[in-house]
Amino acid sequence: MTDPLKQYLDLYRAEHSRIAAGSCPAMNAHRDAALRQLEAHGLPTRRTEEYKYTAVRDALAPDYGLNIARLPLAADPHKLYHCSLPNIGARTCYIINDTVGPVPTAGSEDAIRVVPFAKADEEMRGFIGKYYHSTVQSYDALASLNTLLAQEGLLVLIPKGHRAVQPLQLVCFADAKADLMANRRLLVVAEEGAEATLLICEHASSSAHYLTTQVTELVLGERARVELCSVEETGSNCTRFHNIYADLAAGAALKLNSVTLTCGHSRQTTEVRLAAPEASVEANGAVTAAAEEHADHNILVRHDAGDCRSTLRYKYVLDGNATGAFAGKVYVAPGAQRSHSEQTNANLCVSPTAHAFSQPMLEIYADDVKCNHGSTVGKLDETALFYMRQRGIPEAEARLLLQHAFVNDVLRHIQPESLRQRLSLLVEKRFRGELRRCDGCRMYGGTATNAPTPPEP
Amino acid sequence: MLEIRNLCAEVEGKPILRGIDLTIRDGEVHVLMGPNGSGKSTLCHVLVGNPKYAVTGGSATFNGKDLLALPPEHRSYEGLFMSFQTPTEIPGVSMTNFLRAAVNARRKYRGEEPLGASEFLQLLREKRKLVGLDAHFMSRGVNEGFSGGERKRNEIFQMAVLAPTFSILDETDSGLDVDALRTVAEGFNALRTPRTSAMVVTHYQRMLDYLRPDFVHVLMEGRIVRSGDASLGYAIEERGFDWIRDEAATAQPEPQP
Ligand SMILES: Nc1ncnc2c1ncn2[C@@H]1O[C@H](COP(=O)(O)OP(=O)(O)OP(=O)(O)O)[C@@H](O)[C@H]1O
Ligand SMILES: [Mg+2]
Repeated sequence: MTDPLKQYLDLYRAEHSRIAAGSCPAMNAHRDAALRQLEAHGLPTRRTEEYKYTAVRDALAPDYGLNIARLPLAADPHKLYHCSLPNIGARTCYIINDTVGPVPTAGSEDAIRVVPFAKADEEMRGFIGKYYHSTVQSYDALASLNTLLAQEGLLVLIPKGHRAVQPLQLVCFADAKADLMANRRLLVVAEEGAEATLLICEHASSSAHYLTTQVTELVLGERARVELCSVEETGSNCTRFHNIYADLAAGAALKLNSVTLTCGHSRQTTEVRLAAPEASVEANGAVTAAAEEHADHNILVRHDAGDCRSTLRYKYVLDGNATGAFAGKVYVAPGAQRSHSEQTNANLCVSPTAHAFSQPMLEIYADDVKCNHGSTVGKLDETALFYMRQRGIPEAEARLLLQHAFVNDVLRHIQPESLRQRLSLLVEKRFRGELRRCDGCRMYGGTATNAPTPPEP
Repeated sequence: MLEIRNLCAEVEGKPILRGIDLTIRDGEVHVLMGPNGSGKSTLCHVLVGNPKYAVTGGSATFNGKDLLALPPEHRSYEGLFMSFQTPTEIPGVSMTNFLRAAVNARRKYRGEEPLGASEFLQLLREKRKLVGLDAHFMSRGVNEGFSGGERKRNEIFQMAVLAPTFSILDETDSGLDVDALRTVAEGFNALRTPRTSAMVVTHYQRMLDYLRPDFVHVLMEGRIVRSGDASLGYAIEERGFDWIRDEAATAQPEPQP
């Protein structure tokens, strides 16, 4: 087998001038370095520790097309696409594949700037260049591939001291008529004391196979507070690699919520650097996967300074032949005293053919720390199931209540309340097999409710 | 109402019930007593269809239906209720959601519409009063963090909400303080009608005082070795089980293996 990376490198070598032409100088400045890294380190194999559970080579092997010529969107995405989390945000921006849709103007209260990279690179001299790729500290093949090929990106800038009241919502749709690779880039800069909530919804209405690499960079200034919630509701023909990199200054607080309702092959790599004292990160992950779905979270939190805090909570409900993987590592640098970290991963395998892999890790080089981690893999509680059935709750409903409660235990940490409620409802619908099916997706439903539901009228 | 014939059951391959015969008619309350490990809870679980217990012989007929052929939820719809000796904790499933699911599943079975939100809350309010269960328990997970006594009270509350025709109470009195026991027993009595029956497992005379059972049975090593009226219960309270064991041994010698 030829190296699946070869076709991407060949494509870049052949098309680099067109790729650069459809992009902005700040992005182009990093491409050659990315190429050299990929040439030097290549793709991970099954023996690569960080990618033990996700077969990157298989995922990249098919021949995907790219929108190098930057064909524009055919119609206004606000009219074309329906998000299952409507009206959560004050402002909603659409990204179709890797093309940023029209950015709605902000209300008078809303000082958040949402600007496509190209425009930002012109209007705000040096800004993108200063932050773009600044948070990517270590080599990751998917991040490098993204840096090599991504042509568009979106900047979200929360200016100094601004406290956003309502969330900003990014609705992302995979919509491809032919097999497509899309490389998306987001840069979130929260300046000193800024506060905002961001919601990213990942949907698919693709009839063809879709491969996406996504890099989200977050730069939090001193005492900035950002809550980023990403919701995934894609389908069996989607392969998604999402890399999140975050750098936190002193006293900054980041909350990363990730909810996977449905997916195809999904991998999220998260690296958070608590770079200065009293920074904190809270990562809440909920995964519901069934059929042949594959959801893999790999998260690294670096306590590079003392007096920082990290909390990781990940819960998976796995049905059918689904695979759920979790690897969390909390690294405490030498001298990062009074670090505080809690890490839990709990998995519920509701079918005997579902697989859970759980690997919480601690690497500590300071002595005055309080760090713990725990992980569980279990089945539905038979005693509780029987108790409910005795009361007349049908078995399928009883299973659903238990699974829903299991996931709600993570969702309860998500803000705002309207979003939490909506997510909880979507999780319930998902367990009932009632989630709106993405066109062309072959999935879904849990074992308890296997019958396909008719499409919504 | 309930006819049990030569019922045999095992748990994890170990025979526990070795031929139970028992008839309970409409309106009757039967008390089941017996030493620890004699099979009382096993009988209760077998009747409500706990899949952990395997029936190896005999029959149980409930209002003419073959009880043992029904899944647990259908036994519930047919009117069976069990108050568990150790009620299960279901973290994250609120009492309200749990009971709404139970009430509406039962209504669906009968071809009725789901209960409206206000009617449902009214029902909960009314039944909570009956057993003295505070409103805040409704938003907590089922038995989540409930004390032993609160769990027992919660069992009778659920019984009141579901209005069964045949109730099985497995040591509901254990773990209740004296006042709680009175409230719970009075609540239970208030729910009694000439058409409802019960099988009550207890170790204590106080329960006999409150319930005034029609019959008392003694279970030993998986068999009912003696039946009588309430006075049998009081005799056990006074004299223990040994005399019954001795008499049973002479009257009914163990069959040779
Ligand atoms: N799940 C189980 N696995 C193994 N043995 C069991 C199980 N459940 C019950 N048993 C055994 O079956 C026998 C009868 O138990 P059961 O709970 O019916 O007794 P009981 O009469 O209710 O006693 P108590 O008065 O202590 O409640 C005991 O020896 C018990 O250890
Ligand atoms: Mg018992």
